[in-house]
Amino acid sequence: MLRFMIRRALSLIPTVFLIITFAFVIIRIAPGGPFASEKQLPPEILANIEKRYHLDESLPRQYVRYLGDFVRGDLGPSFRYKDFTVGELIADALPPSMLIGSLALLIAVTGGIGAGVLSALRQNSWIDYAAMSLAVIGISIPVFVTGPVLKLFLALKHPWLPTSGWLGGRGGWLVLVMPVLTLALPYLAGIARLTRASVLEVLRADYIRTARAKGLSERVVVLRHVLKGALLPVLSYLGPAFAGIITGTVVVETIFAVPGMGRLSVQAAINRDYTLIMGDVIVFSVILVAANFVVDLCYGFLDPRISYS
Amino acid sequence: MTGSPIDPQDPLADAFSRALRPVSPWADAWRRLRRNRMALAGLAVIGLYALFTLAAPLLPIHPYAEQVVAHENLPPSLRPAGELMLAARTAYLLRFRAAEGRLEFNAEERQELADMARAIRTDPVHRRHYWLGTDNLGRDMMSRLLFGGRISILIGLVGTVTSMFLGVLLGSIAGYAGGTLDNLIMRFVDILYGLPYMLLVIIMMALFGRNILNLFVAVALISWLTLCRVVRGQVISLKHAEFVEAARAMGASPARIIFRHLTPNTLGVIVVFSTLMVPQFIMTESFLSFLGLGVSAPLASWGSLVAEGAGVMSIYPWQLLGPAVAMTVFLFAMNFLGDGLRDALDPQSRRRG
Amino acid sequence: MSRFRGLVLALLPIFLGAQDFVLNNGTEPQSLDPALITGIPEGRISMALFEGLTVSDPVTALPVPGLASSWTVSGDQRTYTFHLRETTWSDGTPLTAQDVVDAWMRVLDPATGSAYAYLLSDNIAGADAYLKGKGPASGVAIHARGPHTFEVTFVGPLPYALAMLTHSAFMVTPTFAVKRYGPGAWTKPAHFIGNGPYVLKTWRPQDQIVVARNPRYWDARNIHLQSITFLTIEDQNVAFDKYLAGEIDYVTDDSIPVGRIDEIRLRHDYHHMPGSSIYYFVYNVTRRPFDDVRVRKALSMAVDRDELVRRVLKAGDVPTAGFVPAMGGFRTAPGNGFDLDRARRLLAQAGYPGGRGFPRITITYNTSARHKLICEWLQQAWKASLGIEVQLHNLEWNTFLDTKQKTHDFQLARAGWVADYPDPGNYLDMFKTGSGNNDGRYSNLRYDRLLARAATLPPGPARDRVLEEAESILVTEDQAVLPCFFYVTRFVLDDRKWGGIHLNAIDSHPPRWWYRK
Repeated sequence: MLRFMIRRALSLIPTVFLIITFAFVIIRIAPGGPFASEKQLPPEILANIEKRYHLDESLPRQYVRYLGDFVRGDLGPSFRYKDFTVGELIADALPPSMLIGSLALLIAVTGGIGAGVLSALRQNSWIDYAAMSLAVIGISIPVFVTGPVLKLFLALKHPWLPTSGWLGGRGGWLVLVMPVLTLALPYLAGIARLTRASVLEVLRADYIRTARAKGLSERVVVLRHVLKGALLPVLSYLGPAFAGIITGTVVVETIFAVPGMGRLSVQAAINRDYTLIMGDVIVFSVILVAANFVVDLCYGFLDPRISYS
Repeated sequence: MTGSPIDPQDPLADAFSRALRPVSPWADAWRRLRRNRMALAGLAVIGLYALFTLAAPLLPIHPYAEQVVAHENLPPSLRPAGELMLAARTAYLLRFRAAEGRLEFNAEERQELADMARAIRTDPVHRRHYWLGTDNLGRDMMSRLLFGGRISILIGLVGTVTSMFLGVLLGSIAGYAGGTLDNLIMRFVDILYGLPYMLLVIIMMALFGRNILNLFVAVALISWLTLCRVVRGQVISLKHAEFVEAARAMGASPARIIFRHLTPNTLGVIVVFSTLMVPQFIMTESFLSFLGLGVSAPLASWGSLVAEGAGVMSIYPWQLLGPAVAMTVFLFAMNFLGDGLRDALDPQSRRRG
Repeated sequence: MSRFRGLVLALLPIFLGAQDFVLNNGTEPQSLDPALITGIPEGRISMALFEGLTVSDPVTALPVPGLASSWTVSGDQRTYTFHLRETTWSDGTPLTAQDVVDAWMRVLDPATGSAYAYLLSDNIAGADAYLKGKGPASGVAIHARGPHTFEVTFVGPLPYALAMLTHSAFMVTPTFAVKRYGPGAWTKPAHFIGNGPYVLKTWRPQDQIVVARNPRYWDARNIHLQSITFLTIEDQNVAFDKYLAGEIDYVTDDSIPVGRIDEIRLRHDYHHMPGSSIYYFVYNVTRRPFDDVRVRKALSMAVDRDELVRRVLKAGDVPTAGFVPAMGGFRTAPGNGFDLDRARRLLAQAGYPGGRGFPRITITYNTSARHKLICEWLQQAWKASLGIEVQLHNLEWNTFLDTKQKTHDFQLARAGWVADYPDPGNYLDMFKTGSGNNDGRYSNLRYDRLLARAATLPPGPARDRVLEEAESILVTEDQAVLPCFFYVTRFVLDDRKWGGIHLNAIDSHPPRWWYRK
């Protein structure tokens, strides 16, 4: 086990390194640049600016320079937001994303697994149909519809919640409610369906028949044996879902004015803010690889047959 | 009774031998699917959608790109457009008048309404009917929905097929092989996941232009990543099961084990997952339109119609409801069909078939 | 007694907060250093934090005394001598004429990388040479003639000089603070020093920027708002919903959603008037079929700008076939307006009767609801009236700029122009041969000569006539561009509650004048 952990931890480094390298090249190939504007800059000024950000150097030189800064923990200045460094911007944007992402995932996992198990145990009953229909609706309706609909009924027609914004303003912690709900809904629905399908499969398995034959109560059977086996696909889904929910939530952040990583990375890409894009990519890949690592570890706990020898 | 053969004329014997006849798994699956009413309903709905959207150019509906600016933002109705237009304009001018504090229409407004009333009587275009209303340029929502469906359904199909193919293939191999191969494949998946998708697409557009093939490639590129992980997880948990051991003991090659034994057992999860991803593909297309790769105006897709409708849902709700309901019904049907397929193809349930 | 105190304490925030003004500012500012900014959101905040020699009047938008209480102009109208008020920076340091010199030199310094340095180098004597590295710093004609006397010599008798000085590039920034704390740090709340009506209190990226009243501002007793909060919300619908919920007090032009204009128009708090920015399409005159002036004119004559403005956009924009809005004695050229018969005849003359044989053309635009609306309408209108096929090609912003400005890989591209200062020359300069902003690669030597001549003339009817002739060549004779309309300038604000924000043609609303009624 320890050897496995060390091996995987070590493979994290080349993965992130490769991602950095590819991203570095991709960013600079894309048409456009960080200093494009509707009224073009005069060439002398543009030359000066490019010199200041080392864009006049050759690509390999820039890459080496970037790597050198990176290992010292310096992600560079933002090309677009001239008063901030990439580190400062990400340090400001990561907490909001993590907060609503974690809350949303928590709701999605508990609600989804609960609903999925219930539906599977009561297969083809009205509970099952109702829950699964709601789940399909939850998956089908895009976030940029559920968000404004929630806003319309909970904040505009009835002033119960603030329409948008973040903590520290007039709304207080109520600003969290709608973004978290909107974000959680599709994941909740997806996890519910996934859990139900998985539980149904496991329920037919032999070892469950054995447990029942042994005379164990249904509750023990479900909680101890069924869940462990059924949760595997859900777990696999959770790895990328966690990473995605932290950084890929630009729509929810836009609708509810949350100052998070989603908006930051999309703006960075639109602005071709090279250093900020790189910073976002690095943060995202580290979170992703770490999440997948944790998920893989959990495989071992859930299913004793899996070993990492 | 010893030694005597079964008499073929005996109806009981006939039924008996027929019951013993080997049935192909596909026919078996189809038979089971037929018995699942919800799945059949789903199949019927999808068939209808496919029929209508494919036949859209032949249907007697208004052209999806034709604008009649005078008919902008009309609600769905069975009444002729001219009537609705006049009613809407009169109501609006009344509110305008009230906002300015006047009690009567001025000369210009009276003239406008009179001109409109005359145009309704003379111009045949005002005798049209828009059953699902119009959008902000006076285009028929129903035709835009039908034509938009072609794109969205196609995207959904392409995404599902590529994700199933690539995701199942690579995920199974990674899960079964373990070790270095597993590590390599999963790192490759991680890298693709970590790269900035938007910029990748922009570069693809710059290199290969904007066309429908490029759109499919852009969607396919990221479609398979999560399914790959999920399938890998399933395979890892199944590869130590008894039936796999048995197959291995019988000398089956890894490929045969993977595709004949492991994959069918992961089918349930694969199917559910794929139906989860179809709405995501439709939304991806919407995102790609923002970049300029998706459908170009005036063509629409369900994603773009829903995005536009969401912005004005408080004043023109039909512009959102129409495409949103169409899309949701389609996805419902896909889900029921998917569930039915899973039940029909599940090898475990065959034993109880 | 303590309950009463508790009540007062509870209500105090309401009283204090009553002087709290919240608005949406659009995108996250690139910087708060006036020397580095280019966008409108940044401009709004800079007007709250800093002041230049002149500021614009809230009603007339004409330049009025700012840091400079008065000025004299030399006989040749080239040298201005400003008398500065005796005031201090927000940290108490006295503000002198040398600060003005230092601030402007910092903008001109090539190392700063200021995007608007051209406003100084194009107009101040000796500045261009210094910017390009061909002349000394001492050659720039700006001087501190005393602790409160500042003198500048322009390249010519500029009629727009005082108006230009309200621009952020000319604002007086604390060069000593820039040197002390370094770029990036001096603009943060911890070290901020400014000379404007407000000072920077908090800056949360992507969230909000809060500025608080500056008690050391020279006119502090006329600044009544305690604080202004600028929210950073890019989406128009989200911003307008906040206004409907009462969470913001003022909706600026860029935050008004285009799809809901019907409802917004009816509101009492919607204010609008014609503005001076122009929405147009630029022809790539080096590409078929737009290398033929008859085709360019035919397309322009087939656009019913009235219908576009009244029935499609419905916001009160002003249709125009000319490029420069009327100002002072200058009259807009009539251009080639809607005339369908002539359009069809011209198209036939060019070799495409009824649109037959006309190649499929592409309109390139950046993704946005408004552009999509206009381009879709245009596509359909040309198809119906001329029988030509038009394809629409939308690109995200950066790719769009790259296509329009660098590769010129377009036939017809959407464009807009907001003047740096109110003068016809500012609209026409970009179409000179080889100019950096001449994306369509238009070239007409007669046009260039006319503009060169206008630069030497003093303000007056003679100059106006020369510029009018130039505009005529651009839009009527050569049809290098396809003008559509002058933007309406508008905002949503309850003016029974708030004052100091008035409609004006250049859409300039310095926070200095805002107050609660």
